[in-house]
Amino acid sequence: MQCELEAAGFATLSLSMIPELTASTGAPRITALEHPFGAPMGPSGDAARQRAVLLAALQALERIAQPGTTVHLQFEWNGPPKPLMHPAEAPPIAQYLVRRPWLFPKFLNRTPPVRPD
Amino acid sequence: MDKTVDSYRFLDGIAKRVMQHWSAMRRGRAIPWTPLAKPLSQCTVSMVSSAALALRTDAPYDVEIERRDPWFADPSYRILPRGLKTSDASAYHLHINTDFAKEDINTVLPLERLYELVELGEIRASAPSHYSYSGYTLRPADLLRDSVPCMVRRLREEGVDAVVLVPV
Repeated sequence: MQCELEAAGFATLSLSMIPELTASTGAPRITALEHPFGAPMGPSGDAARQRAVLLAALQALERIAQPGTTVHLQFEWNGPPKPLMHPAEAPPIAQYLVRRPWLFPKFLNRTPPVRPD
Repeated sequence: MDKTVDSYRFLDGIAKRVMQHWSAMRRGRAIPWTPLAKPLSQCTVSMVSSAALALRTDAPYDVEIERRDPWFADPSYRILPRGLKTSDASAYHLHINTDFAKEDINTVLPLERLYELVELGEIRASAPSHYSYSGYTLRPADLLRDSVPCMVRRLREEGVDAVVLVPV
């Protein structure tokens, strides 16, 4: 998504909790952040943290001059120490692969079966 | 010494293994680049969330698409207005705990925070429109073909200078 928008003429930046993964897509600008999935901007109701993260990201967007740069934001997670990140029900792909474990390599290699039309 | 983010601090087991494997798979194409054309304080900013957010008054994402074909999520996108409040939207992403977003939409799409940065003079404006889509899909072709061009057109119409993408 980010690469498409950048190629269309917009300066873009991705926040990322797994910066190596985002970098592997060829993202032009990345700010790495050690927050849990589901709460990338910070804890619920913590406006100061959310605003600080957003401002740091925007400032990185302005400063980054080299394509492919990752800036590591210095925030420490200040919410619950073991935040609940997973949904109550396992995602469909997890349920699917439990029943069809021989297809796990396809998931791991991002080579889904041909979609029946 | 400056901190280097630990990507796997909150991940373990299979999820960690999968993310590590995916991280090692390089795209192999040139990195696109559009320089920021003006100082941040003069920029109109739009944001994109991969949390599959939609206004409660808008059509929900079709989660049955993913339940029928778990390699593929609803490839559509939604527009979120800059005045969005938590009670205005729902999150349809099936791979995360959406409670954070339900409690405070700014945890995944910080529109109120962006507006505060406008008031502080850090940016010129928050774009009228912001966007969301489902960040999970192993078949992105439909999303890229159908949703992205529409988003690009609207971003241009609204004079957006910079886009911040927020993961989930």
